[in-house]
Amino acid sequence: MILVVGISHKTAPLEVREKFSANADVLPAVLSRLAARPELSEVMFVSTCNRVEVVARSRTPGEEAGLLAVNAAREVLREHAGDARDFDAYLYDRTGEEAVRHVFRVAASLDSMVLGEPQILGQVKEAYEAAMGAGTLRGPLGRCVHRAFTVAKRVRTETQIGAGTVSISSVAVDLARRIFGGLDQSTVLLVGAGEMAEAAAKALGKGAKSMRVVNRSVERAAELAAHFGASAAPLDALEEELVHADVVVTSTGSPHFIVTKDLVKRVMRARRGRTLFFIDIAVPRNVDPRIDGVDNVFLFNVDDLEKEVAEGQKARHGELARAETIVDEELKGFLAWVRGLKVQPLVVGLRAKTRGVLVAELERTLGGRLKHLPEADRAALLQMMESATNKLLHTPLSRLKEAAASDDDEQLAQALATAFDIVPREEEVDSAPSGASEIAEVSVGAEAERVTH
Amino acid sequence: MSSFWVDALFLATAALYLGASILFILFLMGRQHASDPSAPENEVRPLAPRLMALAAVLHGVHIVVFSLALHICPVEGIHFPLSVVAMLMGLAYIAMRRRYRIDAVGAFVAPLALATLLASRFVGGGALAPSTRMKSAVLPFHVTMNLLGVALFSLASASAILYLVQERRLKQKRLHGVFQRLPPLDALDRAEHRFLLAGFPLLTLGILSGTLWAVRLDADTVADLVRAGFGYGTWILFAGVLLLRAALGWRGRRAAYGTLAGFGFAMVVLLLYLLRGNTGTVS
Repeated sequence: MILVVGISHKTAPLEVREKFSANADVLPAVLSRLAARPELSEVMFVSTCNRVEVVARSRTPGEEAGLLAVNAAREVLREHAGDARDFDAYLYDRTGEEAVRHVFRVAASLDSMVLGEPQILGQVKEAYEAAMGAGTLRGPLGRCVHRAFTVAKRVRTETQIGAGTVSISSVAVDLARRIFGGLDQSTVLLVGAGEMAEAAAKALGKGAKSMRVVNRSVERAAELAAHFGASAAPLDALEEELVHADVVVTSTGSPHFIVTKDLVKRVMRARRGRTLFFIDIAVPRNVDPRIDGVDNVFLFNVDDLEKEVAEGQKARHGELARAETIVDEELKGFLAWVRGLKVQPLVVGLRAKTRGVLVAELERTLGGRLKHLPEADRAALLQMMESATNKLLHTPLSRLKEAAASDDDEQLAQALATAFDIVPREEEVDSAPSGASEIAEVSVGAEAERVTH
Repeated sequence: MSSFWVDALFLATAALYLGASILFILFLMGRQHASDPSAPENEVRPLAPRLMALAAVLHGVHIVVFSLALHICPVEGIHFPLSVVAMLMGLAYIAMRRRYRIDAVGAFVAPLALATLLASRFVGGGALAPSTRMKSAVLPFHVTMNLLGVALFSLASASAILYLVQERRLKQKRLHGVFQRLPPLDALDRAEHRFLLAGFPLLTLGILSGTLWAVRLDADTVADLVRAGFGYGTWILFAGVLLLRAALGWRGRRAAYGTLAGFGFAMVVLLLYLLRGNTGTVS
């Protein structure tokens, strides 16, 4: 049974979530602890700012085993948090079909704090790769997580869930793109050097051609500038700095406008009309709103930016229903695949029996009347026998898998097993030359059925 | 050359322009990327420019075939100017689209090329060869320069219109709804300026050769004078836009309005030529 045990922004505050998080250094140890639990056969550990989750599969099928596996995952999480307090109230768990749906929704960013944000998919992929690397994800759970990537891709490409901008910094970057085509050819000027300026520097500084900081305290400006590879200047140099800037972010605590219409008019003359874009994130405002009337000057204040953020979020929530439909479709497909697993022992048994009979007959003939045949001809005959086996079994096996996918395989499976005198057993599977992945799939065939119910 | 082939080329060209128009408009309205949001924001899918390029090439073939069928040089006739302008505009757009990052301008250029192609078929009253009095070596040169100039001014104007739309949206803080894929404001301003810069010397040569030709023909009818007046007006407006930008930094909205005014004058001149052709008399 597939299960999820975790904590997220929906169930716990940051100070609780951070106790559960695991960075790349700690992750292997956590995975080892989880993998060492006898109740769990496959495990993956997802740790982001907004969620920490154990995604696992119980070693044996059944409700009881599922419950034991959930408790085992909870114990490991509690140990990992290293706090005596009882965190159970913050932890949630999902099992079976609901767990699979949860994994799909998380990867598709439908459970994220910012709906449709793209980072979560990368974080789930990292968790998947870490688990694959540690060898803790080799069966149907791996397939489930892999399918979650398909779900995420479909949701992003078939809906507008990722469209629009949903944070002030992303709105600012988007506006700079609409005006200048990007920041790579733009000089960003930060007016003020407080926390908000620092946040703006983080958002805009990375992609900008260059960055300047002006502040009443030059020392503070220099400090911030040094942190972001920018240069600093005193507030007195504002007019000169505005002449050379393209994007200006103002965030001082000044109770008056420090960028006035007259100043901007003078600056625009000196700039020979080159476009100037102001982002005023200060409250009270630093930039006189009347500058918006000056040609080639654009001003967005906190209210304008927040309005954009709200629009973006509204648009994304409008796409939620379509995204959920995709999750449902993919979930149905995955469950059909899981149902197909339960007939896998019969498929392998049938294949082995048919092939065994035909090959035995062939070898008897090759040892007798056709003893004179050279090696190449023998190989060709063996190949022919393999092809004949596959062609002969193609239709009955396809019908069997189709029936299994729609959970209507019982009679057909019974008929085939009786007709060919096959007792499907996992031991038979282990000896069948069907490849490692098939063996892995077959070994969970019986319990996989439980996921569907 | 049979009229079947001429008509077939015309229809194929029109169909391709139509297809490109639809794709470009869908792109501009933000629909194109609905199934592929990972695609670059301001880049149209390759099919639209490919259709446009193919249309422009077929358009050129159509012009050559049609002029051969009628035994008339395209730049000497009255019938073809619109058609030639549309083709040159399409080719210039395709050549400069990526360089200037103005994919969305195709949403203007493709329908304009289609409309112009259709107009060339139905406006002008058929192919009229210039009269003997008008035959001169200056004429093809004059027409060619003006047509090239108008093609580039069309692109400058399309960029100017989109600039004004984008600028208005930004000033009014309306960033949602249709027109999601407009090119960046600075890219539109730059493209408009460069198309204008490229077209202006051609227009100057067209005006000079036109003046020379008119003097030689003693063109002094009211229609001639009105046409010449609008022609000089076009030149003065474009010269003003370029000069004010260089000297006083007039760019953006003011430059866009100036460009559109100049283009309006150029269209009046073209219209007067066409109306003259429509009367059936070329003088």
